[in-house]
Amino acid sequence: MCATCAEAMRRAVLLLAFGALACGSAEPPARRAPTLVAHDAWARSADSGGTTAVYLVIKNTDTVPDTLRAVRSALAADAGMHVSMDRRGTMQMVPVRSLAVSGRDSVVFRPLATHVMLTGLRASIGAGDLLSLTLEFTSGTTLAVPVTVRQP
Amino acid sequence: MLPARPASTLLLLLAALACDAPLHGTEYDPASPAPTLELTGAERIFRLSDHRDTTVLLYFGYTHCPDVCPTTLTDWAKARRILGDRAARVRFVFVSVDPGRDTPALARAYARQFDSTFIGVVANDDQIARLRRDWGVAVFTQGDPRSPDYGVGHPSRTFIVDRRGRLRLTHSPGTTPQMIADDVRNLR
Repeated sequence: MCATCAEAMRRAVLLLAFGALACGSAEPPARRAPTLVAHDAWARSADSGGTTAVYLVIKNTDTVPDTLRAVRSALAADAGMHVSMDRRGTMQMVPVRSLAVSGRDSVVFRPLATHVMLTGLRASIGAGDLLSLTLEFTSGTTLAVPVTVRQP
Repeated sequence: MLPARPASTLLLLLAALACDAPLHGTEYDPASPAPTLELTGAERIFRLSDHRDTTVLLYFGYTHCPDVCPTTLTDWAKARRILGDRAARVRFVFVSVDPGRDTPALARAYARQFDSTFIGVVANDDQIARLRRDWGVAVFTQGDPRSPDYGVGHPSRTFIVDRRGRLRLTHSPGTTPQMIADDVRNLR
């Protein structure tokens, strides 16, 4: 496949992935006005088939706590939350099944700590690309979060 | 106005200048020759012994590593820029300990994403066995190794070998680029 065609295909996959999630965000509204906000989401560039991490901040503006129970992205075969842990000099990733967001509080996904891992990327992602990440909370709230891709 | 004890003040200043600057990383005491290290490169075997008279930073990770490896290599790239001309005598070496998925060419391309001077090589199974034995590091698969997305437990720290080939220092993840550059400059 020519380089231009490959790039066009890659863009098409990204657009489709983003479009699918944009449609997904048109689900029935949450039971109350949005009180959960995600911002400053970014990921490192990666090749098709590869792995990347997403970092972001989730802010709960309500007094009622909520719990992040799932993450997904149409761009990745699989998505999950992990925390990087240094255990006696060995770095391991430990899965995080759910994450509580206390009332009037924020949780931060940052390098060397809790992050969202996307595996099996369906297209390469480069600096400046935008992908979408969906966050599902136990309250029923679903957030579609735009994620900016940066150089590694 | 002169200090009350100008002579003693001057002596203290001279003593401070004569001492080595403190290092940010964790030092090996005493420093001893780094264990032999031979790894598979895309074009040639990487031998640590070929890099005497340079400071060598080694990180053992894997290209599917989503968080710690790219964070460390990003910090290395920033440190290299801080070092400026001094970086010419520093080698930044990313060693994949995931020979099941990483080829030497992949490891090289991965390392060069962060900085075009970075070296990327792969440890094969025999070389990983020697790493465990000689460098005292742990490397193991996490999750189902038949899955394409298994994880790899790998050393968390960067190993730093000085220009005389001595294993001198380790840096924990999150050591800032400025600290890395400071330590590279201050290693005697």
